Amino acid sequence: MILGLQIIAIIFALLMIYFAVLNRKRGEIDKTEIISWVIIWTITIFVVIFPDLLRTYANNFLITRLFDLMVVGGFILVIAMVSRVYLSTKKMEKKIEDYVRKDSLNDVKKNNK
Amino acid sequence: MKIFIVIPAYREESRIGAVIKDVLKSQYPIIVVDDGSKDDTFKVANKYEITALRHKVNLGKGAAMKTGAEAAFKMGADAVVFMDSDGQHKVKDLPNFIDALEKDKFDVVFGSRNLSHGVPFVRYIGNKIASILISILFGIYVSDLLCGYRGLSKKGYRKTRWESRGYGVETEMTARTAIYGLKHCEVPVETVYYDEVKGVTILDAINILFDVLRWRIRL
Repeated sequence: MILGLQIIAIIFALLMIYFAVLNRKRGEIDKTEIISWVIIWTITIFVVIFPDLLRTYANNFLITRLFDLMVVGGFILVIAMVSRVYLSTKKMEKKIEDYVRKDSLNDVKKNNK
Repeated sequence: MKIFIVIPAYREESRIGAVIKDVLKSQYPIIVVDDGSKDDTFKVANKYEITALRHKVNLGKGAAMKTGAEAAFKMGADAVVFMDSDGQHKVKDLPNFIDALEKDKFDVVFGSRNLSHGVPFVRYIGNKIASILISILFGIYVSDLLCGYRGLSKKGYRKTRWESRGYGVETEMTARTAIYGLKHCEVPVETVYYDEVKGVTILDAINILFDVLRWRIRL
């Protein structure tokens, strides 16, 4: 593992823990979410410092370099998260649309009375 | 037959007054849906003897049309005619829609502009490609797929009740017309292009393309 890259990854993970704590303080995420995020980023820091922990998995998936395993894992994670965000955004948009339209149609009822 | 005119409007404070005045001459009840404009569109529309509704946030043309249509049918309409709020659609073409809905009992009436005159070339090509694509995928050919001047009977609305919030509404309406085998026709309309910035952009067109494929699979 390249040392510079490890440092950047650790700083990034620490920053993400900080943001998670900040979001918790603002009440934007609940207890379970903050715990999950802190665990996820702590594991990430661990893996970055001790990449050999992943050696067995890399061998199982026939991936020669640990870095490649991390990149593939990262991609899978990002795709999963983007899909989740996409779906929740769609749901939210639908809710907003229904609310705004219903509110607007209430004026028709009022005008008709 | 009770027919309502539905005008979805967004940021049209300068033109909506003239459009309403013009449409009022037709004697048909009018519903204007201000789609969350930040300007005085709603205020201007509210000055007239019409039903003015307002979306608190901007949802898109499709959503405004749906609100307008639902309001009209709640108020006892048997059919609705949609017109754009920028004055590009002429009231003198309204009888064509009324006749098609009332006398000929069509469920969906598509307005068709003469695309070879006065329409920007890129829009002309885009419109034609879209018409051909819809014709291949859904088996319905509408010569001016993106024209917002349209008429819908109550049954037509119930069947074509669209999900599109934005500019995909006309295309979705056409696709649903084909899928549910609704009685439809085209009537010629005159159109003047006022605004080059508004309307369907390249980005909208790409989104619509993806939606078309999605509708083909889902509907």
